[in-house]
Amino acid sequence: MLTVKHLAKSYDGEKKSLTDVSFSVQPGEVTVIIGPSGAGKTTILRSINQLIRDDDGEILFDNTDIRQLNRAQLRQARCRIGMIFQNYNLIEPLTAIENVLHGCLGTKSNLAGIFSIYRNREKEEALKLLEKVGLAEFAYQQCRNLSGGQKQRVGIARALMQQPKIILCDEPIASLDPKSTITVMDILRDLATNDGISVLINLHQVDIARSYADHVIGINNGQVVFDDRIQALSDTAIASIYQKDANSEGSVVHEF
Amino acid sequence: MNSDVQQVTNFFNTKRLRLSIILVIFGLAYIGASIGLGFQTQSLLNVQAGIAWLIHNFIPNEASQGYWNEIIQQLFRTFIVAVASTTCAAVVSLFLAIIGAQTLTPAITVSWVIRCLSSLLRNIPIVAWAMILLFSFKQNDLTGFLALFFMTLGFLTRAFMETIEDFGTEKIQALQATGATYLQVIFQGLLPEIAVALMTWILYMIENNVRDATLVGLLTGTGIGFIFNLYFKSLRYGAAGLVVLSVIILVVAVELISNLIGRLLS
Amino acid sequence: MIKPENQISIPTRQPAGPRLSIPLRFRDRRRVTILMTLIVLAYITLATLPTMIPSHFKLGTALTSFAENIKIMFWQPHLANTTFITLLGALGQSILLAFLTTLIGSVLAFFFALASTRRLAPTYLVLGIQSLMAVIRAIPTVLWVLIYSVVFGLGANAAVVGITFHSVAYLTKVYADSMDELSPGIIETMQAMGLKKSAIIRQAIIPYMMPSYLSWTFIRFEINFADAIAVGAAAGAGGIGYQLFMSSSFYFNFHEVGVMVYMILAFALVLEIISYRLRTATN
Ligand SMILES: Nc1ncnc2c1ncn2[C@@H]1O[C@H](COP(=O)(O)OP(=O)(O)OP(=O)(O)O)[C@@H](O)[C@H]1O
Ligand SMILES: [Mg+2]
Repeated sequence: MLTVKHLAKSYDGEKKSLTDVSFSVQPGEVTVIIGPSGAGKTTILRSINQLIRDDDGEILFDNTDIRQLNRAQLRQARCRIGMIFQNYNLIEPLTAIENVLHGCLGTKSNLAGIFSIYRNREKEEALKLLEKVGLAEFAYQQCRNLSGGQKQRVGIARALMQQPKIILCDEPIASLDPKSTITVMDILRDLATNDGISVLINLHQVDIARSYADHVIGINNGQVVFDDRIQALSDTAIASIYQKDANSEGSVVHEF
Repeated sequence: MNSDVQQVTNFFNTKRLRLSIILVIFGLAYIGASIGLGFQTQSLLNVQAGIAWLIHNFIPNEASQGYWNEIIQQLFRTFIVAVASTTCAAVVSLFLAIIGAQTLTPAITVSWVIRCLSSLLRNIPIVAWAMILLFSFKQNDLTGFLALFFMTLGFLTRAFMETIEDFGTEKIQALQATGATYLQVIFQGLLPEIAVALMTWILYMIENNVRDATLVGLLTGTGIGFIFNLYFKSLRYGAAGLVVLSVIILVVAVELISNLIGRLLS
Repeated sequence: MIKPENQISIPTRQPAGPRLSIPLRFRDRRRVTILMTLIVLAYITLATLPTMIPSHFKLGTALTSFAENIKIMFWQPHLANTTFITLLGALGQSILLAFLTTLIGSVLAFFFALASTRRLAPTYLVLGIQSLMAVIRAIPTVLWVLIYSVVFGLGANAAVVGITFHSVAYLTKVYADSMDELSPGIIETMQAMGLKKSAIIRQAIIPYMMPSYLSWTFIRFEINFADAIAVGAAAGAGGIGYQLFMSSSFYFNFHEVGVMVYMILAFALVLEIISYRLRTATN
């Protein structure tokens, strides 16, 4: 499904944020990336849909290297990669249904984007997705009036509207209360199990990872230090993922 | 399910309908206003003719070089008038704003009187100010200074008052709770907190007044506005071009300086 | 800062030494800047204010005459050379001029702003357009109208085009600034979904900037109304400004000026009520 090979990235050309990161993600599985702050989790996720241009490596999505695509091709590839964010990034002045429908605009014409022209099939799908995330009665609410957990569920519905093969989640639950956290994680788990979508999640909560993940990738200082099934994630493994080695010290101290 | 889809369709249709109605109304208003004024839309397409004319005629020629002296001198006078009127108006405005702001005012009637006064000063057209003052103070820089002073006074009083009111009552009450006097609250609590905002307004006003000083000069026969009018009416376009150029340089320079100060303040 | 749950212990380390000096220096820089600016402004003002007063100037006479004229204006307004209907028509002309220039200006400026916001446009376009607009803004509206009245002939065309120039330059800057305020994450999100630029503008930028678009456009309408009056007077472009100019500098009739000022104030009052309504409606 998705295979990342030898990915490298440096923002300033000097300090390496990623060095030789390789892993792969299976369909129908929840893969969780954990690691200390500043380890490079966000950088990995954003490289996958090329929101940031990495320096070196290979990102095979459906057997094509995303890094080699031109702009139009990249746009098409992105249509099949859903993404959800810690701060939701919804268009707050618009209603939930409009935000969900944005998910299918990538494959449509300029005209459709400008005049909000959607097929009946798409409208039906959007309503179905809102129902799936439990927000059917909020379809016509402005998103700025929704709670954090509700916003995140609209975000998920929007990502699903893209009919994605993979969903990338950058700390999707970091701003949510415990109850919304469980709702959101349950939905993501269900997408992997029942819809066969690959779900790749950046997380800070190891206990959440334990109860939802199939596979764990541990990142420290821009390198993969753990890559195994969740069952293999022992306390010593966790400690080693979160440990600070000598050369990362400076940056981590800076982060805190 | 089908009726739900219909509902979504209706939702988008309503939105589109509302947008179309607004666009049609503005379109009709545009046509109406054009007819009412006798404005021909195609003249918008001839804008480049004006630019071309400007470039062709306003290129300063040999003869216009001789005007530099006079232009620099008048430009300087105009700048001085703009700065002095803004500064003086700022001082008075600050006083008025403090006793007029609803959070600090000694009496609510005072607040309303100052509010009305500032609105009045601001909305009397600068043309009227210039003309009345010209009649009494005759053709000199003082006239321009006063015209700008009154308008700026109205504008800054309002702006300062809103800044002070945004500052809120809580912080003021917190200071009063420590037993501070009215003046102590203002000098120790209020002014240091809003200094940056006030400065930003003053700089904006100076920028604006440099431009308006040209207009006032044109009306009252002083400064850079006057000599532009003089050269322009006597068809000395090269010299007029030089005036425009010098105004551009002055205004852009003032804008750059105020941006720089703004950055130092942030 | 989000930290992992407490079942794992992360050795944290304090940053080496307290870094109090930076905030202090920060405050200091502000204070020095404000003080310096105030000193320069005060110096310019105090040094030059006396030079503005002409040599044999009778302040007393000037002030009495000024007070007299103000009194005539506000307490004895009446018409002599024109009719109220004529003036009403002239006021209407000025309002139409302000409306038309704001409308044209806001539409054009919207597109210029799209081409010069950091969120969408490449840096060279942002810098190029913004500098061009700064230059256009630097030239006072009256000069634009005067210049275009030579090209198009004195009249509505010159007035509209001249005022529009300034409006476009002003609105482009404020629209672009309010687009810049949109968080980059929003645009990135839309790009991550594979949306085209046109869709991003229509579905993300427009909904977000609509409130500030409306309020800035309204502010510009107020400015354009004042400009329409000024231009009418200084460039002879008609409207209430021209009438004002004629009464005050041709007939020297301040009773008449008073009537016109009252009319203008009445309209300004209407505008202020509308703007108050707009502000309370959006908040
Ligand atoms: N835009 C940027 N410019 C420069 N350096 C960056 C940028 N974004 C991230 N970095 C650096 O790259 C490294 C990895 O950052 P990244 O955001 O990927 O970490 P993360 O694991 O997501 O951290 P967190 O858990 O705090 O979100 C960090 O050292 C960071 O300082
Ligand atoms: Mg991150």
